[in-house]
Amino acid sequence: MPQYQTWEEFSRAAEKLYLADPMKARVVLKYRHADGNLCIKVTDDLVCLVYKTDQAQDVKKIEKFHSQLMRLMVAKESRSVTMETD
Amino acid sequence: MVLLESEQFLTELTRLFQKCRPSGSVFITLKKYDGRTRSLPKKGSVEGFEPSDNKCLLRATDGKKKISTVVSSKEVNKFQMAYSSLLRANMDGLKKRDKKSKNKKTKTAQ
Repeated sequence: MPQYQTWEEFSRAAEKLYLADPMKARVVLKYRHADGNLCIKVTDDLVCLVYKTDQAQDVKKIEKFHSQLMRLMVAKESRSVTMETD
Repeated sequence: MVLLESEQFLTELTRLFQKCRPSGSVFITLKKYDGRTRSLPKKGSVEGFEPSDNKCLLRATDGKKKISTVVSSKEVNKFQMAYSSLLRANMDGLKKRDKKSKNKKTKTAQ
């Protein structure tokens, strides 16, 4: 269960995992205000990618990534949607 | 598991975040959804089921209370704006990066 230290690597691997099988992959977000940390996990029940953070600057990145994936999921399959990377 | 309309889901999600502020976690799950309402049968053919491609399922829980909603391409724009602001507003308990600002001479308002 690889845990990524850099957001860049995580987002690239996660996007790849989702695109490999969109129906199988899911995104899980866990937020703890009491501890001040956020964890995002992308898995297809075979491979599991995790990124944890306690930095406020990562919230925006994670939230953007979440929204991008949501858009990919509701977009019709025929078009290929290119994701913007910061 | 309570299935809600998108707007109601956002309201309930805000409530979940507020409830978990002193202690506890908020779990949010996002998955592509093809509109099926029954499980896949082991044998026999699936009866006239048309998988739709433009929906996703959003779930949230605090460990006790569960809520969910289905978002389709028609609602995604409006929903996403509200959802993004909700996340950013509620996930504000994280550390601000202040390693660099200590070296710089800029004053930070406190």
